[in-house]
Amino acid sequence: MIQTQNLEKVYRTDEIHTTALNKVNLEVKAGEFVAVMGPSGCGKSTLLNLLGLLDDPDAGSLVFNGTEVARFSERQRADLRKRSIGFVFQSFNLIDELTVLENVELPLIYLGMKNPERRRRVEEVLEKVQITHRMNHYPQQLSGGQQQRVAVARAVVNQPPLILADEPTGNLDSSNGNEVMDLLSELNRQGTTIIMVTHSEHDARNTHRIIRMLDGQTIMTEATVSQAQASMVL
Amino acid sequence: MFQNYFKIAYRNLLRHKGFSFINIAGLALGLTACLLLGLFVYDELQYDKFLPEGDRVYRVYNNVTSEESTDQITCVPPMFGTTIQENFPEAETVLRIIMQPWEGKSLVEFGDKRMYEKGGLISDPTFFQVFPLKFIYGSPEKALDDPTSVVISDKFADRVFGNVDPVGKKISIDKSSFLVKGVFESNPKFHIPVNFVVNLAIMQLEPERMKSWGWQQFYTYVKLKKGTDANLLQTKFRAEVKKQIDPETHKPHNYEPVFQPLKEVHLYSASFKFDQSLRGNITYVKALSVIAVFILVIACFNFVNLATAKSLQRAKEVGVRKTIGASRGQLMLQFLGETLLLTFISVVFAAALTSLLLPSLNAFTEKEMSFNVFSSPGLLLLLLGLLLIVGILAGLYPALVLANFKPVSVLKGGLASTNGPGKTPWLRHSLIVLQFSLSVFLIICAVVVYQQVSFLHNKDLGFNKDQIMFFEMRGNNMYQNYETFKTELLKSPDIASVSIGYGFPGDATAGDGIYITKDGQRVNHSITHLMVDYDYIKTLGLEMQAGRWLSKDHPTDKDAAFVINETAVKELGFGTPEKALGQKMEWPIWGATRKDSTKKGEVIGVVKDFHFKSLFDKVDPAILQIFPGANWKVAVKMKGGNVAGAINHVKAVWDNFSPEYPVEYKFMDDNFEVMYKAEDKLRTLLWIFTGMAIFVGCLGLFGLAAYAAERRKKEIGIRKILGAETSSIVTLLSKEFLKLVLIAAVIAMPLAWYAMSKWLQDFAYRIDIPLWVFGAAVILAGVVAFLTVSYQALRAATLNPVKNLRMD
Ligand SMILES: Nc1ncnc2c1ncn2[C@@H]1O[C@H](COP(=O)(O)OP(=O)(O)O)[C@@H](O)[C@H]1O
Ligand SMILES: [Mg+2]
Repeated sequence: MIQTQNLEKVYRTDEIHTTALNKVNLEVKAGEFVAVMGPSGCGKSTLLNLLGLLDDPDAGSLVFNGTEVARFSERQRADLRKRSIGFVFQSFNLIDELTVLENVELPLIYLGMKNPERRRRVEEVLEKVQITHRMNHYPQQLSGGQQQRVAVARAVVNQPPLILADEPTGNLDSSNGNEVMDLLSELNRQGTTIIMVTHSEHDARNTHRIIRMLDGQTIMTEATVSQAQASMVL
Repeated sequence: MFQNYFKIAYRNLLRHKGFSFINIAGLALGLTACLLLGLFVYDELQYDKFLPEGDRVYRVYNNVTSEESTDQITCVPPMFGTTIQENFPEAETVLRIIMQPWEGKSLVEFGDKRMYEKGGLISDPTFFQVFPLKFIYGSPEKALDDPTSVVISDKFADRVFGNVDPVGKKISIDKSSFLVKGVFESNPKFHIPVNFVVNLAIMQLEPERMKSWGWQQFYTYVKLKKGTDANLLQTKFRAEVKKQIDPETHKPHNYEPVFQPLKEVHLYSASFKFDQSLRGNITYVKALSVIAVFILVIACFNFVNLATAKSLQRAKEVGVRKTIGASRGQLMLQFLGETLLLTFISVVFAAALTSLLLPSLNAFTEKEMSFNVFSSPGLLLLLLGLLLIVGILAGLYPALVLANFKPVSVLKGGLASTNGPGKTPWLRHSLIVLQFSLSVFLIICAVVVYQQVSFLHNKDLGFNKDQIMFFEMRGNNMYQNYETFKTELLKSPDIASVSIGYGFPGDATAGDGIYITKDGQRVNHSITHLMVDYDYIKTLGLEMQAGRWLSKDHPTDKDAAFVINETAVKELGFGTPEKALGQKMEWPIWGATRKDSTKKGEVIGVVKDFHFKSLFDKVDPAILQIFPGANWKVAVKMKGGNVAGAINHVKAVWDNFSPEYPVEYKFMDDNFEVMYKAEDKLRTLLWIFTGMAIFVGCLGLFGLAAYAAERRKKEIGIRKILGAETSSIVTLLSKEFLKLVLIAAVIAMPLAWYAMSKWLQDFAYRIDIPLWVFGAAVILAGVVAFLTVSYQALRAATLNPVKNLRMD
């Protein structure tokens, strides 16, 4: 589903150049659940942003479903994002002025989906993350775990083939974190490809594969037990 | 999708009530100012537009050049009209209206009704062909062909006849009988304040006199045939005038006739002489239009500033929306839409406020403007246009900024990299500078205009215009026995002195020639003639410069003495006032049966210059002499205290002499007050709208300061914990804004100086722009800005620092 070749990102601020990503080569197949780990500042978020077309690389190639997308225009990227990629962030990033329902509805609105189909889809997803009873609340009125579940709902409501999650459990206590992890695993079982940045070895163990990074480079990839299980299942 | 945008917009509006209020209030006020000024300007532009085929009508005036200057003289000789009519087939209809004294009133009598009516015209019978006013009764055809017929306005008809058809009724005007032939509808947008019209034939002017090229007493209009090139005709006519004026006898005038399009008469004649039409002033119209735009720009800038400042609070939303897949276009549309919503609310408020304030503006400007959105689709369209223009103007930039946020950077929390310390928000600062430049500019203009107008009202005119009652003599008895009339008036202990003559300050004066002998040659000089009596000097409080005033004790003073003013001493080349004494002069007597009979005499005194005209004009050279034949006006100087007593006495004496005429009078100082009416109004309007501009600008500043204080809450908290005092924090926050105001002042000052110098040039007597005005404007703008900002700064500085830090 995703291949990168010598993907590079350099941040230039006045005098300092930070090479956040240095010639990264990796491949993620459709249906995989991949964890990205590494110390703070090693370029995990940068990588995710590039994969999600939120930022453009300085060099290298990025192929998404067979198409080279590294030099896509702003408009093309927006279009691809809205159809194919869902995001989940550590800090939830819900719009405070919109209710839960309205937040989750937003991607469908940008897709141009009309009611009642839209409404049906939203309720279905909210059901899945078990937040239906709070759908007319505003984000500030929810707990962190609830907010993150809404964020997951929003990421999957348009059924994107790929979900990128940047420390989705980073701001949650372990029980809330586990709930979110269960949600992601369930989505993956239903076929969604997921790339997740995490600091938690525990969470990482629940994925198929761990990519470890250091100083802007991928240093190794290890299969997890669940990978073995997944292979067995397949 | 729009529903979603609207929801967000609406909730943001409520959530940030302060910002919304400042935005809406500022914009609504700006729009209101703009609408009111716009209505005024629109109204000024409407004059004479209602007249069918008015584009073919031209007024013929005359550029008359003397050694000193070129004057636009609205009154032209009778031969102008005649020549155009006879020599140029391009002219379809020619119309001449004879100029009558300013404010001239006629006594109108019908049954037991007696009233003075203004606005009587004596004109060629072609009046209604050139100016096809709407007739309510009768018909314009041949309405004026008979010299004893009169056509009256609907208002006149209402006053005299009530609500009935008066056609066929006879009325008396100034003791002559006229037959009413028609009633026309008054139109406030007609440049001639006409109330009734009679045929010029009634004056029975000698045919010889109507052949004059020198008697400049006629307003002349021409309606051209379709497709005529007015410029070409003007050129041909100028050549014809040069050819026809007999080089032997023509007066020392250099004529240059001009065909002025009817649609320019109202606004482009402000400096014309002898123009009695309803005049506006294109300079003032333009100035007010510019101010309207200024205020709107200031309001829009507020909007841009506040919106961009506030945009940080929207950054996360932008990031999220982009991540989900919103395109830049969609985001721009959303934020533009929000601005449009705010603008829409502002427009609604502005429309309401305008309706509320319009009656006051109408009263003040003596106009009848209307503002009814629901009955006028044009106005609705205009408001819609305004909404779009302002909405897009104010919303485009913030929308662009917001839509361009990079999702990666904004979602990381805060916009540290794009808005760190040390980074100057250039655009925001430039806009503040511009706003305050406009404000300082307006303040300076308002003060200078105020000073000049006060100067006009308070300048020593060289005579005392206070407590002088002033009226026109009425009835034969008064004219014939003017000496007794005067004696009777003086019997009251409340009356100090009385002067009868022609040529009082602020009233009509006559210009004519005078002969003096220069280097053995008899030369003619044109000069203002003031026909006076022995008490003129006492009544007006003039002062002598040299020689003596006219006196009964010198029998020759009546028929052989002249007094001249200082300017005349210079103009006639006498050198000094002392040298002027004894100079010989000769004056062709008015109305003499023999054409060449003159009054010969010598200069016995020089009077100090006094302003018998407005301060727009330099004092003209003038000659003062006794000539009872021209007696026309009476000036009564009252003795302090008992004004009512004096007035009652005048009334009683009047009724003894001319009971057939109702008493009518006014006060001389009022004559001077009305001269500067337009300037008075400009002064007031400038103050009001300058105030509005400053207020709207400050609203914006207030919002920005609030925002800056909010943004620096944490910094302020840390500073306080480290021991900073409140005052130092207020300074910290205010300094930045004060610097901007100073820059603005530096930009505005030369511009204001230039504009005001230009404006002052219209006045023959004017103030020097005082330097303190500039200082005062800067200080005023600075103080207002400081108060605005420091309020917010103080609030931020006095908050509990611990609270601020914890919130982070
Ligand atoms: N906008 C930016 N400007 C400059 N440097 C940045 C920016 N974003 C990230 N970096 C730098 O790039 C490197 C990688 O950052 P990031 O991908 O956020 O790391 P991680 O998510 O692994 O903690 C870090 O050294 C960081 O300081
Ligand atoms: Mg990170």
